[in-house]
Parts: sequence; structure tokens; C-alpha cells
Amino acid sequence: MRRELAGDVGRRTILKIPMTEMMTILKTWNFLSENQLQTVNFRQRKESLVQDLVLLCEENRASLKDAALLDIIYTQFHRHQKVWDVFQMSKGPGEDIDLFDMEQFKSSFKKILKRALKNVTVSFRDAEENAVWIRIAWGTQYRKPNQYKPAYVVYYSQTPYAFTSSSQLKSNLPLLGQALTIASKHHQIVKMDLRSRYLDSLKAIVFKQYNQTFETHNSTTPLQERSLGLDINMDSRIIHENKIEKERVQRVTQEIFGDYPQPRLEFAQYKLETKFKSDLNGGILAEREEPLRCLVKFSSPHLLEALKSLAPAGIADAPLSPLLTCIPNKGMNYFKIRDK
Amino acid sequence: MELANTLSQDGESRRGVLAHLERLETQVSRCRKKLEEPQSAQAVESALGTRIHELRRLRDKLRAEVKQHQARVKASTTNVEPDQTLEITEQEFLKRKRENVKAILQAYRFTGISGKLTSRGVCVCIGTAFEGNLLDSYFVDLVMQKPPQIHHHSIPVFIPLEEISAKYLQTNIQHFLFTLCEYLNAYSGRKYQADRLQSDFAAFLAGPLQRNSLCNLLSFTYKAEPEGQSFPFCARLLYKDLTTTLPTDVTVTYQGTDALSTTREEQRAAHENLFFTKPLHQVFTSFASKGDKLDMSLVS
Repeated sequence: MRRELAGDVGRRTILKIPMTEMMTILKTWNFLSENQLQTVNFRQRKESLVQDLVLLCEENRASLKDAALLDIIYTQFHRHQKVWDVFQMSKGPGEDIDLFDMEQFKSSFKKILKRALKNVTVSFRDAEENAVWIRIAWGTQYRKPNQYKPAYVVYYSQTPYAFTSSSQLKSNLPLLGQALTIASKHHQIVKMDLRSRYLDSLKAIVFKQYNQTFETHNSTTPLQERSLGLDINMDSRIIHENKIEKERVQRVTQEIFGDYPQPRLEFAQYKLETKFKSDLNGGILAEREEPLRCLVKFSSPHLLEALKSLAPAGIADAPLSPLLTCIPNKGMNYFKIRDK
Repeated sequence: MELANTLSQDGESRRGVLAHLERLETQVSRCRKKLEEPQSAQAVESALGTRIHELRRLRDKLRAEVKQHQARVKASTTNVEPDQTLEITEQEFLKRKRENVKAILQAYRFTGISGKLTSRGVCVCIGTAFEGNLLDSYFVDLVMQKPPQIHHHSIPVFIPLEEISAKYLQTNIQHFLFTLCEYLNAYSGRKYQADRLQSDFAAFLAGPLQRNSLCNLLSFTYKAEPEGQSFPFCARLLYKDLTTTLPTDVTVTYQGTDALSTTREEQRAAHENLFFTKPLHQVFTSFASKGDKLDMSLVS
């Protein structure tokens, strides 16, 4: 029964893999040998290729564990297909030095989940920079784990941050939080108001790795000679009447956003719950006791770069509102704004 | 003229004395004019001659003036030239001095801590090294306000930067930087040892090296002789002090089921001691050299 399930999970995962990535992913998986892969015709139609590969997997007696590993690898290659949340853990004051043991973490994590929920499948894959990718297929007391809607967790050892793919099954979140906290020897876990498809950008934001330009005596590029966006080769008969203002805007934008590429987010959401404020006396809304509620959402393929280009493009005043510019610094793209 | 007209008007040449006299008159006036012409020509000639003389004189005068001016300019430039050459050498001297200072500033990074003033404070570069090998550099960009603050940095997230800055940044920047330097150098050193073990001594390892971000817990199974018949030992190294590159706890265990022979037990204890006292890769270097010695003994 499990073998059939493994086969099905494997087949569905292989079907998802684009033809261009097939060889790379199979080699990373390292379950089928070089010889076996050479016997397969990779130029045939995808359906037949998948059939051949599934047959080979059956030959090798692929288990659910192997299929889960392939699933993790596929997700690692296509991490943008998931939306990731960020959790922050904290220790108590005066804690001992963290002697993180990866094997201990894995066994502790699995034990906690299995103790609470018998029907759960947990798989691990070590990744670069001392990180681990965890795949969790949730079940219930009476139902077997659902292998087709797993949750993923990425954890970097000896850091307080964990990244989880937004799972449909929100009820399992507290248990997941508990397992992470205890296994990594922390005390508390809190969900951050930060969410994006771009896992690497989330990592850059919380690990504060997005601004990596530093002034040194060894740097060859002088900081002063930065093109201010004004075309130097333009016709000398053309004068910018607002040259001073343009330069000011460029300077302010550069001070706030820096010279580095911005981390990639798709949106920022502001939930406002404020009372009506008006300069004019009277009016119906001025006397309203209840706060007004509204939701403002900014969306973009690359939100922070878009915000950075607003003032230079003349669409907004510089400096931009700190509510917009604080996003990477505060590690938030969900805001709740209330009256103080 | 009038005479000519009267002649043509009448239509016939006038004969008679009057006409003759008139003719004679015109002749005389013509002759007179002819006589006068050379005189006026002469006058004109002499006038032109004087004019030529005058112009020549003016020309010579101007030529003389130009020559004088040129001579003066030449004299003045020859006076200026020695000053200019002095300036050039002074310029070159300053340029060389500036390059020298720049090179010294660039070389400062080899001292371990160096910095560059920025518009808002200072950007400190902490260079790490272990056993004479230059390793990674890390940066801290400080804003020198009344309470100094960190603007941005490249310190890895698992280094307890917040702890260290909470303790020292506001009160004693020097202490802050030295402590950070300690932690980073120790981390770099531990990482170096672990990397060397994985890359240079993979033949001695029976399984993968287990490590963590801080490289303060290393766990591995190894053989002292890679091709030897000996059974592998399991080593577990803990570095509880994050400012050191040598472990604080070492346990070497034997994986086999049967009891250890006394020689093996001695070996185990000796290995434990080695891991305590020597950097990890040096321990394995000594294993490798011992192996060579064994070969030598077999040959002889």
C-alpha cells in the first residue's frame, strides 16, 4: 500500500518537473543510477518519459521516504511557487551557548510531531549554509497523512528564524511552532508580519543581508561619481529647469534605499483603523465615534524597486512616507495602523 | 569744345582768320596742358615718393617695436620657466606621497581591524585570520551619533551581535570592536578547521562531518589509518567558549561491540588529548604523518 502511495507521489512529482530540469533534478535526487538514466530516452514525449522513469523507480523499490525527498528537491528548485511566512523564535535571558546538533534537532522535531499526531510524515533534507528543509504531510487522528498538500519548513541552525510555506491546514500551526521551538531549544515563537514568494529575499531581510556595500580604502569605484540619472550626453541647448530639485530627489532616494538591489516582495498591506481627522469643524464624519476601517494594498512584481523609482519618476514626493520605506528595516509587509 | 560744336553746327569747316585763330588757341591750350602734365605728374610723383618714405619709416618703427616686445616676452618667459618646473616636481612629490598614504591605509586591513571614515561615522572592517591564513572579512558600518548605532553590517546572523552591542556599543566602542573581533576570529578559525578536515582528510572520515552554523559542535567517525584494519572511532567536539578555536569538551568513543584492547584504549585516550590540544586539521596531519612513518618502518 505504501509502495503504491510512494509510486503515486513520485509519479505526480516527476510529472510536475519541466523537461529542461528533468536531468538536473534526477541527478540531485541520486536515486536512479547513472546507468539507469542512460537507458532512458529523454527526447520522447513527457508522458512516456514519466512512465519509463516510474518503472525504474519501482525497480529500485522506491519508498515513501524517497518520493518525499524528490518532492523536497522539486520544491527547492521551485520555491517561488509557494508563499512563505516567517516565524521568529526567542530564548530566555542568560541562556547557555547554543550547541546545535542537527541530528538531535531532527529526531526531537519528529518525535514531538509524532507524539501529538500519529498520522504525520516528516522528511528532512540538509541544505547549504547549515540549513535543513523539512517536509510535513499532515494527517488527523483518523486519517492518513495527505501526501499531496505537504507543508515545508526551512530552518538555518543557530538562528531565531524559520520559514514555512503557508499551509492550508492552519490548525496544525501551533503544533508546528511548538516542535520548532523545542527542537531548536528556544522558548517562544511568534509569527512575523512578513510574507512573500521569494524565500531568498525573506532571508535577506531578516538576516539583514540586503545591504552589503561598504566603504573601504580598497574599493576602486568612487562613490561620488554616480550618474544622477541626468543624461550627460544630452544636447547642451536643453536645460533642466528643475535640475536642483531632481538632484535633491536622487540624493534623498539614494540615502533611503541605498545603492544595493532591493529584496523582492510582491506586496505591502496596510490595515487602517483610525478615527476620522479633519481640519474643518463639523461635518458628519467628524463626530463619528467608531474608527474607520480600510485596507490599502500595494502590489508589484518587485515592490521595493517600484517604491524606489516613485520619487525619481515624479509620481511621489521625496522622501516617501516612512510607512513605505521601513519595510525591509522592520521586516514587515503587513501593517496595522491604529490611533495612538 | 565750343569750337568743335560751332564747327559741326555750321555743317562746314569755317575758313577765315577767326577760325584759324581759334584753332591756334586750342593748340596752345593743349600744348600748355601737355607742359603742365609732367609738372603735376612730378608733383604727384614727389608726393607719392614722400608718402612711400613715410610708410617705410612707419613700417620700420613698428618692426622695431615688435622686436622689442618679443624680446621682452622672451625675457619674461625665461624668468618664469624655472618656477614652473619647480611646481611640477612639487606636484609629483605630493602625488607620490598621497599614493603612499593610500597604500598604507589599504594595507591596514592586514592588522585585523581597520576603518574608513564615512559621512555618518565610520565603516569598520574586521579581517579574520587563523594560523597565518587570511580568512573572511566582515564589516560594521557605525553611525557616530550620541548613542552610537549600527547602520548595517555583514556579520553572520548566528554571531551574537545584538548581545555584544547591547553590552558595549554605547559605553566603550573599543571594547565592542575587540569583542566582536574575538568572536569573528574564533568562528573563522573553527570554520577553517572544519573545512580543512572535510576537504583534505576526507579519506580518514568514515561518514559525513556533522557541523552547525557556528562550527561549535563537530561530530564525525574517523580512522587514524585510512587503509588500516582498525575500527573507526567516533569523535564529538564541543566548543562552549565562542572565543576559542580549541574545543572545551572532547569525547572519543569506540563503536564496536567487543571491549577495547589496552592498546586501543590508550590510543583512544591519546586521541582525546590530541583533539583538546591541537587544531583539528593538525591532528589529522599528525595521523597522516604517523601513517607515513609506519610505511617507512615496513620498508626498512
